[in-house]
Formats: sequence, structure tokens, C-alpha cells
Amino acid sequence: MRVDVRALGACNRLAERGAERAANALGELTGSDLAVEVTGASVATGEDLAEAFSGRESIGVRVGLDGGLEGQAVLAFDAEQIDGLLSVLPGGASMGRSAVTEVGNIALGGFLDGWANYLGRAIDMTPPRYFEADGAAVLPDGALAGDGVFLFESRLDATGTDLDFSIYMLPDSGPFRDLVVGKTATAATVGAEGAGGSAGGANATAVPYESLSTFASLAKRGSANAADNIGMMTGLETTVDVSRLRFVPLADVPSEVGTEPHAGTVFELQGKPSGYLAILFSEESAAAIAEAMLPMEPDQPLGDMAENALCELGNVMTSGFIDGWANVLGTSISHSPPEFVHDIGSATVSPLVASLSRRQDYGFVIDAAIRTEGIQARCDVYALPDERELAAALERLSET
Amino acid sequence: MSHLTPSGDRTASNRGEPPRRVKVGVGDLAVVNDGATLTTSGLGSCVAVALVDPVTDTRGLLHAMLPSADGNASHTPRPAKYVDSGLGTLVDELASAGASPARLEARLVGGAEMLDLTAAVGPRNVDRARECLEDAGIPIVASDVGDAVGRTVRFLSGGDLAVRAADGFERTL
Repeated sequence: MRVDVRALGACNRLAERGAERAANALGELTGSDLAVEVTGASVATGEDLAEAFSGRESIGVRVGLDGGLEGQAVLAFDAEQIDGLLSVLPGGASMGRSAVTEVGNIALGGFLDGWANYLGRAIDMTPPRYFEADGAAVLPDGALAGDGVFLFESRLDATGTDLDFSIYMLPDSGPFRDLVVGKTATAATVGAEGAGGSAGGANATAVPYESLSTFASLAKRGSANAADNIGMMTGLETTVDVSRLRFVPLADVPSEVGTEPHAGTVFELQGKPSGYLAILFSEESAAAIAEAMLPMEPDQPLGDMAENALCELGNVMTSGFIDGWANVLGTSISHSPPEFVHDIGSATVSPLVASLSRRQDYGFVIDAAIRTEGIQARCDVYALPDERELAAALERLSET
Repeated sequence: MSHLTPSGDRTASNRGEPPRRVKVGVGDLAVVNDGATLTTSGLGSCVAVALVDPVTDTRGLLHAMLPSADGNASHTPRPAKYVDSGLGTLVDELASAGASPARLEARLVGGAEMLDLTAAVGPRNVDRARECLEDAGIPIVASDVGDAVGRTVRFLSGGDLAVRAADGFERTL
């Protein structure tokens, strides 16, 4: 069975539309303006998901799905935000659990309507079940089993009120595989028309279904190597907190990075796949890790000395990252010298997104949060490979 | 993509509340005619084009990533991704929302040269925006473009455009 990675794009758009419906439903209920910030589809192993969610507490509702989609959908709020949610709901804090259940029910109903419309088939929801969950227990049943699952996450932003939530949906793999295959034909037709006869055509992005689980190992191997290299260079114990590969609209990447000031390095990747890699620290983290690497305290927290240290760190991290990829994919990838960046996070990545947008609308984003012990420093790695070249590399991998 | 964003019953004027805020994402545009504030953040090499009909206070904001839709083999039509197609769509939507295209005036922000790796994108976005606005006969009344700095903008009722740079410097265009 083959899956066109663009079919993931169709699924993602669907999740995005569903999230908009959920936002409208919730906005009407609470009287807030809600906007969908980010919707992403991720492919991850159970082990990665367990790591990604460790230490998080969530409150929300889950429903079972039957009909057009089978599986489970979960709407979750961060436990820390629950007071904010209750304060905007009719009935307020006294309603507690029933208010959350009602919100979840309405928002999930809105979300699934979008999918049902698209599929032309009703999706039946079981009555919502309220839950409070630690760590990965928030995820739909079955998310932690198996070695390559799809998960759709949407984050909403409530303008004027601090309120956002995530929707996780893990359709049972059988029916969902059929859905992806069904969309493959549609995506291929649309792609052929839209491409205007461009080289490669729609098949350029088709990969065997089994290769999708390789995506997860790309994220994992890359970030583990990068962390090892930091450890060797600095002598600090370094761990990877989160590493996931998600399929997101490229235009969402800047807002995901956010508007806080960031410092770090950006690289261009050459080889199979080509693309960009950005390693971004908060200003405090950047200053802290630079200071830890320098023999003496720098004159300025983020001056020339710190810039050199961060470039050197970026170099070893990036070479670790792409070595990890090259091992998984069996290809050779090289990188440009580091370019130091210090600006609004989203402004820093927007030129990378613009550059890739000439050829693709969706991107595979590898999120890796790498943490060093002893000093407070954490960075996010955004890897943005060319989708056709990545698909081609995965294709070759499946043939060997 | 956002189009004319519904204000529901929560307009600013009838309740004395702060104006509604409408966020415009990357490769997106929005039009308002109820006094709402349009915002877009993290403008690096992207360019923001803010258009207002000062008589009706109908305003629109475009946040485009790339100069031109021509020659791109992208598979999803998304006009606001490009300066030229985005500007055309923005003017059409403003007209539908009650603006007179002949009265429109433009403010232009962004197009920074953020990275050496991709240095050409920002200036090309700005050049394309100037060309398209000239072709459409829309005067540029103010601009804050170029340099190597990220920017965030708020497009306020009345047509003022508040620009905040990454270094904290703020100005109103």
C-alpha cells in the first residue's frame, strides 16, 4: 500500500477546518473570540508520545467514534488553565466537571462535523466521558501501542482570555489507513492539475505506508545525536525532552515558534533531503548556555563571544542531527556554516518558511526540546526538509 | 483563510469595550469594518500590506510570504501567500465589505533581510508590493521596511498602523 504524503495535507486541512468549527462552537458558548493557532498531524511511536507528555496534567473529555471514522477523539485542557476556562463559562466554577464535559461535547461535535461533511458519512459519537489524566494517559486509547500512529492536534488561542486546548484524534488504524488511501487518489488528481506538469508530479511524494513509522525515528535519532554532541562538547549532561515529527502547514510554523525574542543558529541543509534547520533558544537560555561554554563570563550576555559559542554549539548539534538522519535514510547530507540569529522567533523562521513555500504548502517539522542539566537551558530544533526529497529518500529506503 | 470576520454582537462601539482583535496569520489576510484591531506578528522577510478606506474605516491586512504567484508549482491555491495575488484578493474583499477602491491608502511594513541564507526574499517582497500598489493606483502613505529586524503590527481603527520592532522600538505609521 502506498500513501501520498500530500494526502496527509488533505487530512491536515480537514483537522484544521474541524478545529475552526470547534473554536466557533466554544466561542459562542463562552462569548470569547477564539482563533485556531496551529493544527498539526503527527506520526509518532508510543514511546515518543509517552516521553512527550511526561509531567503534563490534563483535564478534558473523550468520546468514542463510529461510522465515518472509528477510534477515539479527546479534547484536553492543560490542568493549569482550568480556572481560566471555568471563569468564562456560564455557571462559572460551581459547574466544574459538568461544564468541562459540556464544552468538550460541543467542541468535539463541531470538530467531527467537519470530518463527517468531508467524508460524506455520519460519525457517531459515544457520550462524552470526563477525565483528569497525568502524562500520556490523556491520549486516546491505543496511542501508546504500535509503532507509528497518526495524531491530530490543534491549539486554539482565545483572544482576550488565556484559554487554549488541544484535540487529539487517533482513528483506529484500519479504517484510517483506508481513508488515507482513498484520499491518495484525490490528492494525486488535484496535485496533477495544480502542478501544471511540473517535474515529478504527484507520485513524487508517495511513500509506502510502512515507511511512515520511519519518520518517527528521524526525529528521535536526530535529536538524540544532537544531545550527545552537546554533552561531549560541554561536559554537561544533556537529555532530549520531546522529539516528534509533525506534518503541519508551513504557514503555521512561525506562529508556533511564537513572538518571544529568541537567539540561536540557522543552517541550510544540502543533500537528500535538503532544507533548513533552526536551533532556537530563549534569550535567557542562550545566555546561560553560552556562559557555561565560555572560559570567562562574557561582557554582554548575548554579545560576540556568546554568538561564537552558540554558533559552535549549533554546528555540533546540526552535524549530530543530520548524521542521525543520514543513518536512518542511508543518504548523505551536509550543512552550511551557522548563521547567528537574535530576533522575534517567528520573524527568524519566516524566511525559511517562505523559501520552502515555493515548492510545498506543508512541512515536516521535527520538534526536539533539548535540556542540559545543571544550567537552565532549553532549545527547540525546527527541521524543515524538502518534502519531495524526504519522500524520495524514504522510498529508496523501502526498496533496500 | 480569514475573510470578512464576523463581529457577532460583540462590537466595540455598542458596549464601550476594547475593540475586537483579529489575528492575521502568515500567508493570510483579513478585512474588518466594525472598528476591530487587525494584528499580525513575527514579520521577518514577509511583508504586511495594510489598506484602509478612511471614509468608511473599512480596513484590510495582508501578511504575504513570497512576491509572486507566477511560476510556482504549489498545489494549493492560497492567494494570500503571495504579494500579488494576495493584494488582488484583499482589494476585492475590501470592496465587498464597503470600501471604495479609489479611496484606499496603503501602509507597508516588513520585508526584512533576516538571514544571509535567504537574503533576497524580503526586498523582493517589498518591490513587488510597491509595483502592485502602483498598478492598482493605491498610494503608499507610510512604510517601515527592510533592515534586519523582525516586526509586529497592529492596524487600528482610523487607519493608524502601530509597528513594534524586535528591539522594542515602536512607531506609528
